[in-house]
Amino acid sequence: MQQRLSARYASLDGNALRQGVEAAYTWLKTNHKVVNNLNVFPVPDGDTGTNMMLTMQAAWEEIQAHEEGSLGTIAKAVAHGALMGARGNSGVILSQLWRGFARAIDDKDEIGVDGVVEALAEARDTAYKGVVRPVEGTILTVSKDVSQAASDALTAGVTSTLELLERVVDAAEASVANTPELLPILKQAGVVDSGGMGLFFILEGMLRSAYGLPLDQTEQATHPLPSLDFESAQDSVEPGQDWEVIVDFRPNSEMDVSDFYQHLEAMGTSIQVGEWDGLYRMHIHVPDDTQYVPIDYIRGLGTISKVAIENLMEQVEHEVGSSDGIEIHTENAVPGSVAVVAVAPGPGLARVFTSLGAAAVIEGGQTMNPSTKQILSAIDRLASEDILILPNNKNIFMAANQAAELTVKHVEVVPARSVPQGVSAMLRLDRENDLETNLGQMSDALGDSRTGEITVATRSVELDGVNAEEGQVIGLLEGELVVCGNELGPMLLALLETADVEQAELVTLYHGKDLSPQEANALADLVRERWPELEVELVDGGQPHYWFILSIE
Amino acid sequence: MTAGQATNLGTISISPRAIATIACQAATQSYGVVGMAAKNLINGLANALAADPTHGVVVRSERDRIEIDIYIVVEYGTRIATVAHSVANAVKYQVERAIGMSVASVDVHVQDLRISDTD
Repeated sequence: MQQRLSARYASLDGNALRQGVEAAYTWLKTNHKVVNNLNVFPVPDGDTGTNMMLTMQAAWEEIQAHEEGSLGTIAKAVAHGALMGARGNSGVILSQLWRGFARAIDDKDEIGVDGVVEALAEARDTAYKGVVRPVEGTILTVSKDVSQAASDALTAGVTSTLELLERVVDAAEASVANTPELLPILKQAGVVDSGGMGLFFILEGMLRSAYGLPLDQTEQATHPLPSLDFESAQDSVEPGQDWEVIVDFRPNSEMDVSDFYQHLEAMGTSIQVGEWDGLYRMHIHVPDDTQYVPIDYIRGLGTISKVAIENLMEQVEHEVGSSDGIEIHTENAVPGSVAVVAVAPGPGLARVFTSLGAAAVIEGGQTMNPSTKQILSAIDRLASEDILILPNNKNIFMAANQAAELTVKHVEVVPARSVPQGVSAMLRLDRENDLETNLGQMSDALGDSRTGEITVATRSVELDGVNAEEGQVIGLLEGELVVCGNELGPMLLALLETADVEQAELVTLYHGKDLSPQEANALADLVRERWPELEVELVDGGQPHYWFILSIE
Repeated sequence: MTAGQATNLGTISISPRAIATIACQAATQSYGVVGMAAKNLINGLANALAADPTHGVVVRSERDRIEIDIYIVVEYGTRIATVAHSVANAVKYQVERAIGMSVASVDVHVQDLRISDTD
């Protein structure tokens, strides 16, 4: 048996190469979305995985025409097909790798390990020649490391092409994992190089086919593990969930990923699963007192290597403590669809916008306007290209417009002048639609609600026929001063009275951080008693200075 | 004519030469591009002597409209259309990212091919 195996893998012939190419293409096709997810540059045709897959597809189609052929014929056909089908940067580089590989083989019928080593070196050289200044940390680096591993294997006395391939795949994997160390932009984006990853899948596909492993297995784990590094996975704060649990484990048997997802979905939200070389990482947010449930569940599946549990409530409190225009990033941004950046003046309101689907929330408002830079950095950090900004305050319009002009992304500002308008607009967000349609719909929705505010007069003023003394409670309707007095309760009622609230259906009261939930509830009860027909909703907005922001619909 | 933006403090103007330098960097880092070519022979001689960082790039800007022409040498054996396409994308992306203004057009002219070795 051993002898037969070693005889079978003593050399590479046309048939073996054909099988290898077919396997590489199939495996890349299975995993191209994983590669696509690694894109850093938002260029229009930048889907590296798709580009490389189509390039390999052209190569594979080309060899269909050569049913039987010598190694040289097949290699030339692959190179020709890859060249003709090359798409995108990574596709061109891939075609150059094949071109060099084929040139080294020339018209030989078969080659041994030394021949493969030579061909890999030629592939590397050809690829490197195609650019004035080769950038390291890319597919070029991976091809270099692969070639080096092959030549080391030859020196170490490897005589089986299978063993050579095993070593090459290991080297490719290590090289891909190392790319962020060489290319800072990858590290910033928290990804590994996509082209290198594509090359790894090509080589791994060949190895899987040699082992007889399936090639069409769809992996639901679309995030490769390096992009979910432990520390940055912990960053995402999602208010409303109490505990974040991250578990690294190695399953005892083949994982049924969809079954795994189903179990997790019953436990919590924000589920992410990553896979890397048989090691899985699970990320989940769960309610209080159930933080050990996912760990117990996973203990039944395999060997746990690392566990991290973090109290998200504490994180939220901490971030609110340092509240100076901080951003809460959530996971609502999907590349290719519209994402919303909302400005919210308090943590409670931030939570409201998050729950309505905002991809990023910047804290800021009346007295703490976020800078253009803060808005810009929120825009730049989102995975989406089409972004809408909800300033939710007229003082922020200018910064929002400026940010929209300064970015290369497609950004529009929905002119929401208040939090209630922003909420009305959010309710019309339809991420299936394009940016313009959403902009139109959301702008139309601004009139759906009227805005009231209850705050304190910071100086004595006579405005709109109302005389307010410094320190008095004042009520504003749509930005105009309408009532003033000494007590909060009567002013709340007076403001609603002025707003003809009996015509309305729903009043949402966002209470500020200066009111305790009990106080706020007592005040809301006053409104409920006065207008029993009206639906009154109380939300902890957490905004400073304003006791209440009211949305009247 | 420089490209520019008005701010509330004054104006920011970016010279075509500055834009050309960014475009040149982006192009030479694109895969398949093995050199920049001169638009004509006389420029080529002058540039060969001076190692100009904007060699092979012509930038025109009129108010907010920036147009870039880029003259490249491509490696023989690569798919020229694809290389040119990715150069156009890379140049547009890098210039827009650096100066924060949109680029109206990038025209890529493949002036020559370099044959490294025979197949």
